[in-house]
Amino acid sequence: MMRYEIPQLETERLILREHREDDIAAEIAFYATDASQFVGGPKSPEDTWRYISMMMGHWALRGFGFWALEDKDTGTYQGRVGLWYPHGWREREIGWILMPSATGKGYATEAAQAARAHAYDVLGWETAISQIAVTNHASKAVAKRLGAVMEETYDAGDAYSEIEVWRHPIPADLVNGGMEAYA
Amino acid sequence: MSLALNIPVIETERLRLRSHREDDLDMIADFFADDRSAFVGGPKDRAESWRVISGALGHWALRGYGMWLVADKATDAPIGGVGFLNPEGWDEAELGWHVFNGHEGKGYAYEAAAAAKSYGAEHFGIPAPISYIAPANTRSVALATRLGATYERDGEVLGNACHIYRHSKAEAA
Repeated sequence: MMRYEIPQLETERLILREHREDDIAAEIAFYATDASQFVGGPKSPEDTWRYISMMMGHWALRGFGFWALEDKDTGTYQGRVGLWYPHGWREREIGWILMPSATGKGYATEAAQAARAHAYDVLGWETAISQIAVTNHASKAVAKRLGAVMEETYDAGDAYSEIEVWRHPIPADLVNGGMEAYA
Repeated sequence: MSLALNIPVIETERLRLRSHREDDLDMIADFFADDRSAFVGGPKDRAESWRVISGALGHWALRGYGMWLVADKATDAPIGGVGFLNPEGWDEAELGWHVFNGHEGKGYAYEAAAAAKSYGAEHFGIPAPISYIAPANTRSVALATRLGATYERDGEVLGNACHIYRHSKAEAA
């Protein structure tokens, strides 16, 4: 039997945990709308389900992946944050996607900071990127708050079009894995 | 938390049904590079084929059943895939199969599908699955018939018109 660990992480306001069936319903609703345009959407319910199941298989194959974000107070699904390196990927990436109702609260920054600390402190990553659609200004602001810097731009040649590659600070440049230096 | 991927191993006379592994990628990418894979969602490039593997594993995590990699029992080399699919958009659990390039015509799909079918009846509560089959896929129609399935109705899966075959109730092994 294959067994894989999805460690549960906590931030001030969020719990990072494994995905459950209910979360997929929220993702299906999200991917049905243009709000998903920066992250590969819109997608059909069928494609969204397969995408989430593929994300869970990524945990089994890589030992890391995307966590579901749960609001500590309400228990509701806020989106996902994760560590991503499927076959053929440019390099190890930190990603974040919030449901529309969860934006504007600093959740992506809070969760990505925890994911990055896990990558650096537990998994031993020495660097990480985040790939962001050129027109996704909210996500670029998160990258900036995390201390990442824009490194290059490339044409993804698919639905994503122009992508910016943001480089995160290396572990030695972070204090306690956090972002105190950038606050 | 710890998630168990409880993917059982089943052995038949010539085959081992087991979990997909990353080192199966060469054979899977080769299969999905070919137009033959159009019946199962192809063609796909190598990176997309990796996602077939991770998606197969994720299906087991979400549903408790899924697709096995069919391997040669003696060498463990990949021969194809078989098992139960029930992602979003499916009417109910489907018994599906495919055979990789160079392994057709040896009865492997029948041997694997018959074993999967009785395992599903006994352990997954799927006594009489359906199979979605493109009418042009005569090889699959023949196999479904040999497994005791019969045409039930016209259907659609992922926007493609297809025939829905219904398997007879399997005796739990």
